[in-house]
Amino acid sequence: MISQFRRTLDVTLQWVVIGQMIALTIMVLVAVFYRKFGASLSWYDEVASVMLAWITYYGAALAALRRQHLGFDGVLLRLPIPIRMTAVAIAEVLVIGFFLILAWAGWQVLEVVGDENLISLPWISVSFTQSVIPIGAALFVICELLSLPESWTAARVGRSLEHPEPHMTRS
Amino acid sequence: MLLGVMFLAMVAMIFINVPIGIALAIAALLGQVSFHGTNSLVTVGIEMYRGATGFALISIPMFVLAGAIMNAGGISRRLIAFVSAIIGFVRGGLAMVNIGVSLFFAEISGSAVADVAALGSVMIPEMKKRGYSAPFAAAVTSSSASLAIIIPPSIPMILYAVSANASVEQLFVAGLVPGLMGGLGLMFVAYLFARRYNFPVEKAFDFHDLRTTFVDALPALMLPVIILGGIFSGLVTATEAAGLAVLASVVVGLWYRDFDLKHLRESMLDGGLQTAVVMILVAASVLMGDLLTVSQVPQKLAAGLVALTDNKYLILMILNVFFLVIGFFLHSAAAIILVVPIIIPLIETVGINPVHFGLIVTLNLAIGQQTPPVASVLITSCSIAKADIWETTKVNIHFIAVLLTVLMICTYVPAVPMFLVDLIYGTP
Repeated sequence: MISQFRRTLDVTLQWVVIGQMIALTIMVLVAVFYRKFGASLSWYDEVASVMLAWITYYGAALAALRRQHLGFDGVLLRLPIPIRMTAVAIAEVLVIGFFLILAWAGWQVLEVVGDENLISLPWISVSFTQSVIPIGAALFVICELLSLPESWTAARVGRSLEHPEPHMTRS
Repeated sequence: MLLGVMFLAMVAMIFINVPIGIALAIAALLGQVSFHGTNSLVTVGIEMYRGATGFALISIPMFVLAGAIMNAGGISRRLIAFVSAIIGFVRGGLAMVNIGVSLFFAEISGSAVADVAALGSVMIPEMKKRGYSAPFAAAVTSSSASLAIIIPPSIPMILYAVSANASVEQLFVAGLVPGLMGGLGLMFVAYLFARRYNFPVEKAFDFHDLRTTFVDALPALMLPVIILGGIFSGLVTATEAAGLAVLASVVVGLWYRDFDLKHLRESMLDGGLQTAVVMILVAASVLMGDLLTVSQVPQKLAAGLVALTDNKYLILMILNVFFLVIGFFLHSAAAIILVVPIIIPLIETVGINPVHFGLIVTLNLAIGQQTPPVASVLITSCSIAKADIWETTKVNIHFIAVLLTVLMICTYVPAVPMFLVDLIYGTP
């Protein structure tokens, strides 16, 4: 049940990120051609920046599900198991705690900017573009929790998720 | 005092494997609450959004995407055949080909890990088949792939430019000569190894073969011309060139009939994920940046160091050692995001050109990619070669020495990286 939900979320986030990448690529290319023909698009800078933020937070959730964020586990994996597992638990509480605060803060911001619109495209509300913060943060928490059992096991057996190949030993 | 505690908390979090970007954000959040109280918590939502919307950073997903699309086997194979026709007649020719193709690839892809993954999977098995040891094959692939972040386009250079408020285009120009010097130096060391261990010659020089492989590789060779030509001539910005690189790589893929939707889908996903991982760091750095501005720590640090010495060459030496050491432990993106904003006021105070310094930082981090424990490029290369990291490092030390020599030359003879910048953009 949980693994099925994890797979579905993984695939859904993949398509969300791919869709955003396609949109950004088309936007950049269209903007180049418009600028070269002397008709720069007024909305390009603002909307492309929003798209980058969306890729950042939806992609970050997917990276959390796959445990691909940049980290350093060299020290952690050398600790004795009881201390190591306590450290892993603390790290998870910190990460999840931070994204819960971010989700709450992002939600508060949406209430503040409720009736504001983008400067270049006034029919798009700022609360729509900035919704990525509470939604992305909440997704990050869900993804972190879903991938926790696997990373917990990996930490317990001393396997690095960062560079899992077996040739790290000094010969 | 408070910032010292924050710094220690951040290091402790990194040591227990909190992702670096998130450790940075948590430390900044702690500092913010200490400075401004819990009411300031809400600003984390605004700052983490603002940090992810930097317009100059849009080139990152585009360059990653172009590199991923170019990773299709057919393009690497044609480049290898062409470079082999140029240089395969030299003893140890396959090692030279490996380095030469890395130079080409570096001009398309902005990431050394992408470079090593694309070329290593083709070159390393072939080198092992021809009698090269696995550690040597891994070392030469790894060190030459690091040229990808020195030679434009370069993702670490884009990150530096944003962190230091420097010109991305000028940094790209500054990287060209050191990158070529590095490539030639690596070839020279590979040749010395080839003489000593009697590595094989690939084939006799044949002009007809050179012409045939050149024509076959021509569409792929046009990519660096589009990317670098566009930027250096001022026709397009770095972001626009990145967009055009994506379009050109799709066209070249279609031309070679290597292109399929599955590969495009994987490339898009790869581009999005790599972008997200780097951008979370960037967004967190904005949170920390606000705190640094309020606390004036970088300015105080600069004043403190300048009180000890205002000799910019001595300061550059100290910074070189510093960046080399952090390169052992941090990924290049993390090192830039964490350190550059703190160092920049010092650089400006002692009168070092930020573009020159950006090149120095990038070179240091290219070396850092070769030095365990955190050595993404070396580890990828060893993984493909099934070589032991420490055995590979023993060989790689010779190639690292080349990169260090280029670093020293670029640090103390600024004209080497900067004369092209001055030529194109004028002396400041």
